[in-house]
Amino acid sequence: MEEKEKKKHRAKHSGPKAEKKRKRYLNDLGIGDEENARKRNPKAFTVQSAVRMARTFHRTQDLKTKKHHIPVVDRTPLEPPPVVVVVVGPPKVGKSTLIKCLIKNFTRQKLVEIRGPVTIVSGKKRRLTIIECGCDINTMIDLAKVADLVLMLIDASFGFEMETFEFLNICQVHGFPKMMGVLTHLDTFKNNKQLKKTKKKLKHRFWTEVYPGAKLFYLSGMVHGEYQKQEIHNLGRFISVMKFRPLTWQTSHPYVLADRMEELTNPEDVRINPKCDRKISLYGYLRGAHLKNKSQIHMPGVGDFTVSDVSFLPDPCALPEQQKKRSLNEKEKLVYAPLSGVGGIVYDKDAVYIDLGGSHAHEKEEEEVRPNHELVQSLISTHSAIDVKMASSKVSLFMDSRPLGSEDVGQEFVMPKEERQIDLKTGRVRRKALFEEEEKENDDAVSDEEDDQEEEEEEAMSEDGSDGDDEDDAEEESNRALLREEIALGRAKRLKTEVAKEEAVNELPAFADSDDDLEIGSEGEEGKTAPEENEMEEDDDDEEGEEDEQRTYENESSDSEFEAASKRVTESKQYEINNEDTEMRSQISDHSLKRKAVLTTDSGNCTAEEASESEAENSLDEGDDEEGSHDELEVEESNRKGFRHTQAKKADSIRQTKVKAVEAEDDDDDVENLLRDEEEYEEKIDFSADTTGALKWKEDLTQKAAQAFLRQQRSTPNLRKLIYGTAVEDEDHKSEDAGDELGGLFRVSRPDKASKQKANALDCSKFLIEKPQDWDLEEVMSSIRDCFVTGKWEDDKDAAKLLEEDEELYGDFEDLETGVVHKGKPAAEGDESGSEEEDEDGKISKPEPEEEEKKKERIDKKRKLKEMFDAEYDEGDATYFDDLKEEMHKQAQLNRAEFEDQDDETRVQYEGFRPGMYVRIEVENVPCEFVLNFDPHYPIILGGLGNSEGNVGYVQLRLKKHRWYKKILKTRDPLILSLGWRRFQTIPMFYIEDHNGRHRLLKYTPQHMHCGATFWGPITPQGTGFLAVQSVSGTTPDFRIAATGVVLDLDKSITIVKKLKLTGFPFKIFKNTSFIKGMFNSQLEVAKFEGAAIRTVSGIRGQIKKALRTPVGAFRATFEDKLLMSDIVFVRTWYPVSIPTFYNPVTSLLKPAGEKNSWSGMKTTGQLRHERGIKLKQNKDSLYKPIVREKRHFNKLHIPKALQKALPFKNKPKNLDKKGKTPKDQWRPAVIREPHEKKISALLSALSTVNNYKIKKAKVKHREQLKEYLKVKQKEDEQKFKRQKEAKKKIYRILGQREKKRQKSSLKGSSKGEKNM
Amino acid sequence: MAGEAQCLGYAGCNFLRQRLVLSTLSGRPLKIRKIRAKEEDPGLRDFEASFIRLMDKVTNGSRIEINQTGTTLYYQPGLLYGGSLEHDCSPSRSIGYYLESLLCLAPFMKHPLKIVLRGVTNDQVDPSVDVLKATALPLLKKFGIDGESLEIKINRRGMPPKGGGEVLFACPVRKVLQPIQFTDPGKIKRIRGTAYSVRVSPQMANRMVESARSILNKFLPDIYIYTDHMKGVSSGKSPGFGMCLTAETINGTILSAELASNPQGQGAAVLPEELGQNCAKLLLEEVYRGGCVDSTNQSLALLLMTLGQRDVSKVLLGPLSPYTIEFLRHLRSFFQIMFKIETKTPEEEHVGGEKVLMTCVGIGFSNLSKTIR
Repeated sequence: MEEKEKKKHRAKHSGPKAEKKRKRYLNDLGIGDEENARKRNPKAFTVQSAVRMARTFHRTQDLKTKKHHIPVVDRTPLEPPPVVVVVVGPPKVGKSTLIKCLIKNFTRQKLVEIRGPVTIVSGKKRRLTIIECGCDINTMIDLAKVADLVLMLIDASFGFEMETFEFLNICQVHGFPKMMGVLTHLDTFKNNKQLKKTKKKLKHRFWTEVYPGAKLFYLSGMVHGEYQKQEIHNLGRFISVMKFRPLTWQTSHPYVLADRMEELTNPEDVRINPKCDRKISLYGYLRGAHLKNKSQIHMPGVGDFTVSDVSFLPDPCALPEQQKKRSLNEKEKLVYAPLSGVGGIVYDKDAVYIDLGGSHAHEKEEEEVRPNHELVQSLISTHSAIDVKMASSKVSLFMDSRPLGSEDVGQEFVMPKEERQIDLKTGRVRRKALFEEEEKENDDAVSDEEDDQEEEEEEAMSEDGSDGDDEDDAEEESNRALLREEIALGRAKRLKTEVAKEEAVNELPAFADSDDDLEIGSEGEEGKTAPEENEMEEDDDDEEGEEDEQRTYENESSDSEFEAASKRVTESKQYEINNEDTEMRSQISDHSLKRKAVLTTDSGNCTAEEASESEAENSLDEGDDEEGSHDELEVEESNRKGFRHTQAKKADSIRQTKVKAVEAEDDDDDVENLLRDEEEYEEKIDFSADTTGALKWKEDLTQKAAQAFLRQQRSTPNLRKLIYGTAVEDEDHKSEDAGDELGGLFRVSRPDKASKQKANALDCSKFLIEKPQDWDLEEVMSSIRDCFVTGKWEDDKDAAKLLEEDEELYGDFEDLETGVVHKGKPAAEGDESGSEEEDEDGKISKPEPEEEEKKKERIDKKRKLKEMFDAEYDEGDATYFDDLKEEMHKQAQLNRAEFEDQDDETRVQYEGFRPGMYVRIEVENVPCEFVLNFDPHYPIILGGLGNSEGNVGYVQLRLKKHRWYKKILKTRDPLILSLGWRRFQTIPMFYIEDHNGRHRLLKYTPQHMHCGATFWGPITPQGTGFLAVQSVSGTTPDFRIAATGVVLDLDKSITIVKKLKLTGFPFKIFKNTSFIKGMFNSQLEVAKFEGAAIRTVSGIRGQIKKALRTPVGAFRATFEDKLLMSDIVFVRTWYPVSIPTFYNPVTSLLKPAGEKNSWSGMKTTGQLRHERGIKLKQNKDSLYKPIVREKRHFNKLHIPKALQKALPFKNKPKNLDKKGKTPKDQWRPAVIREPHEKKISALLSALSTVNNYKIKKAKVKHREQLKEYLKVKQKEDEQKFKRQKEAKKKIYRILGQREKKRQKSSLKGSSKGEKNM
Repeated sequence: MAGEAQCLGYAGCNFLRQRLVLSTLSGRPLKIRKIRAKEEDPGLRDFEASFIRLMDKVTNGSRIEINQTGTTLYYQPGLLYGGSLEHDCSPSRSIGYYLESLLCLAPFMKHPLKIVLRGVTNDQVDPSVDVLKATALPLLKKFGIDGESLEIKINRRGMPPKGGGEVLFACPVRKVLQPIQFTDPGKIKRIRGTAYSVRVSPQMANRMVESARSILNKFLPDIYIYTDHMKGVSSGKSPGFGMCLTAETINGTILSAELASNPQGQGAAVLPEELGQNCAKLLLEEVYRGGCVDSTNQSLALLLMTLGQRDVSKVLLGPLSPYTIEFLRHLRSFFQIMFKIETKTPEEEHVGGEKVLMTCVGIGFSNLSKTIR
């Protein structure tokens, strides 16, 4: 039996395996490889057609250049803000679950409820801010503008829903962030084939929307209400390695996705007027561009505001410090989501909040989860009577479903592409998007392969991941206890504790470390080692920590607060004492600046102090300092004594600085010059370090920073103070001013030093010279001698010196013409002798610097040689594109390096708050509804506005109605636009540009064409994309996006016109001249239109000539033909249209919770009519009536007798007389047959009947036969045709493949040829 | 609501031009009070009124309100429009007064600006048209504002008090400006200049040239000073003469100095020799101050740096003029931008006085008026 079953092996003749074998076989023979063929038969591979070669070359070049993007300066900050990951999808698709799983994957923490954005550390260099996007179109629009990555969840068991496509379209308009699709609910498929098919279908549809090859993730199923761990892990890895392209709008505007909101309004004001405008502070990572203080921002859904204050805070979710290791440890896996109540420690401007778990926090949460409890609670807390509720109630069939109205139940939607389905499980109404099958059978093979590949990839990934997981698991177990505590911490209430500044430092290891580095750099000479310092600091910190605890206990009594405050003051004083001691010894001019740093820096206090320490290197008495910091427990006593002393000092220094600021520069300069002489040495070192080469700028950054700081301290001139004043003073001044004005009655008159005297002076830009120098004197003249080319040059530019160097480089050469041999100087000798001389001169023997110098010289020489070599060989073929890129790169490096060495406080002043900082933004005059109806589920975005983007004007757009939108849009109907950061309602007017540049008003948007639109609204830069929706409230079954487009132009006036035809009637007609009346009302009007072209309805053209005296408004006109009295004359004119200045921001965030998606603005006329049942009053004349045509009666044709006579006979009317009755004599006689004849005729008729029948029968039969035959024939034909078709297909496929192969080989050949060239 | 940006308030008529220009560029409305409130002749002068009118001409949709005495001015800027324009400047200030502001605004118009200004071309108060032509245009080119259409052309020369000059200024529009790194002025390679005379003897110009050369020749041999004697209709309505000198370095920095004779009927007559010598000395003074931008154009350079893209720009200047210092303050209040100011003492001895290195990050300004197709 077994033998019987066995099948003979059949060698494969086709497929990849066979191909491989054949190749191997041919290889063995030595003829198979293409390379070999090239060797064997080189002639076959030479250029055969120059034209073809040129074409392929062009093509490859085209392809190459097509890949180029216009290079932009890379402005991404060194420490970028967290990546905004928006999880979007229709309801019940698994968004929250995915977020929870992702958070768990990255941080090993389980968040129960997620409100607002959650920031987590996902890797060594990346943080993520994950936020969920609901189906409210407002939310979708807002989040699309800030998203870096979109995770698009799709319910595979259902297919695409309209929300998905709406979101995609929104993204397309506002810059396309990175997209990743995630298919969920894949476990509902029982049939594997069905699953595969669905996956493929969805993938291809997704690709058409995003880009071919876009990543689509499959989450196969749920385990205990979570996605499978491995899949989430893979997804997480994909997210954390993803790269992003900068989006124009995002990189050119600062923005903050707020993750915390606090109200700062004075409670008294709220008590007096609960509806008063509020002052709030919002927290979040700054993204995009630099944010300046006092700049304008827009909060989508709320309105425009001016930032009243910005400050940066320590990063609550900081990246781990740079360490050489592969993964994060448990401590570094941070979560920060204050809106969800997670995040451990929260920093404020002047306080630190720690979330402590209240003792009952846990129980409460558990209780609330139970639904029956909820019911009871709701019953207890009823405020209105039951019948009132009944009246306004709606039926909600299922939990979580939208309350159903009557219209939802009964309707049926018949649409070609969209379908509304009611989910059987949840009863939710879903908006299914249906599409025709696009996939062809042919594609299957290809895509299947791809699928396989992807799966393989994923498998590989999963293997990787599992390794990591094992490790992680071990960690996890050990940390579980800790975790639980943390979670408890997260849920708890907040308790405010005042913490001293030192603790802030303690919480921030990064900060302290960096300071240490500074010290290492600067205090190396002192011989004090860094570790010692660290220890000392730690000691300090410990003590202070204890102190803090004490303080927290004390805090419960109100008195202690005062104590703490006073303590802080004294502490700061203490620092000042230290500072001033050191300063007195070192310099005078630095006073104010340093103290300013102390005063203004908040948590960075330590830096200033330490910097000052390091500065006072030698003179610093360490013992004193240590005492100073150790003794803080008794600081109150000890300092109160010194308090007065310090105060006096402070006053002194203030006076000093003020005097300085007021005094002329010269004095300061003198002092500075004196000081600078001392520091010259240090500065020189700096310069040498700077000049060693641009590539080395990264070396010794810390040291450089320290040095730069010192240098800056010294040289930051009083010029800055002279111009800007000190920041602190300035602000104080302003606030005082405001207070004064508010005070009302009395106002402190304070002379405004600088500007007062000049207020009404002459406005001239010339810089006059007060006391000119005497240019005849020799020394004065010599002071600018080197400014001219005739003067002395710097070493690196002096021609003579350069020549010398060159000689050294190239050594000896022989002039071939003259035969003279030039000998190069032995460079080393000369150098040595030089240095020796120096040594003798300076009488200082320092072997190291000498060697270093030599080394440097050698390096320089090498560099120069390399540069020359590069110039000769590498950079010769640098294209324009390369140059441009290089330029941008240089600029980017400069941008990064310029302010690197400054501390954040000063840096913020120069460049504004840079992206990546965690900032606190104070905003005033916020509507109270924002605070009262605050819902953390809705994103709060602060979008920075550029210059004059806060103004309003006329904005011209290029607009196209979305092809999926059902209706066309009407001019003068309000429309909600999403443009820039904003969402607002406005009234656009549509127009089309005629060929002569005229903007002609359109009543409706064209169907499938772009048209222009102008509206009155916020000025937004040209090139910004926008989208329009008709309403943002509720859901409609249709596609909601009405139109999309781009801003073209901004202006303060418009030029849209509409056609106006004035009609008139002739009242007197001469030959070609007529008098027309009824067109105008006065002679003046006519005069305005003299010479205008007019026309009659029948098409006779003419011209207006001159007004007549009577009747008023009549005129004389000439025409090309004589008019009739019944003609109507008209003139075509253009009438400018005014645009309603209606701009209404969508204030959806001000709506009460639960109604945030129900904002409705101005209604269209149509809606109002519909609501109120007002019928349009129609002109009776323009109504259609049934056409009743009278039966037309024609007269008889009458031809005159004379004419009749003349006509030829043919045309003569033939008047035939009517026939009368035939006379009796003309009647035919009746035939009466004989019986025999009768018989014969009867028989004949019978026979003929039979015959007829037979013929008929035969005919029918024949017809049937024919039918049968045709059927058979057709079948045969069909089969034949099919066979032919298949044969053809085969042939063409083979041909096609051959063609493709040939092309490939030709391309390859050409590229190789290019290389050879 | 997209309410109007906060209104800025100032007092006094000084720096009126700066304020109006910055207000227009930033889109923030402006209120100036107490314009010569305590003087005998209160309110705006005719040249200021003329300037405001000019602002109205180049913009579209500006709202200007002046109270009855002219001591308070409210200005709500519109969008810069440009196009072909003509303007009659008041003869009490020279065309330079108006041109300086137009130079700041012209690159950001909707249509390329082409304006004919009539009035006084050279006087003793303001930078003359010659100087602006020689210094400001090369400066604009550094920021990427160049092309054939960038030009200042003196059709007619007009001296105070009556004027009668005519200048054509044309400038192309740009969407964004390039950042500059302009920290090395280089060495002066040549000195050029113009000695002009109208309605006086043509010999005057030659006399000025002679005397100026006598001083400058001690430093540099490459000196060429053009003499420009205008006659007939192109010589304006008043007599006068003067001279402007420019020193050009190998890196393209241009420093300038100028001097003009006293207007007819005011002050003592000036000898051309004396004027030439003084002018040469002024140039040396300017060289002593040094920097990559001469003292009159400091504010223009700083403005264009501010209005650049969000990149670091650097420029080395001589000592800051009071006008520039006030300009820096205004830049801060209008654009919230602060410059990093470092004083640099030259390491070598013979290269003049102290320099100031100004560094800033551009605000990412883009021309909101320009139409895209």
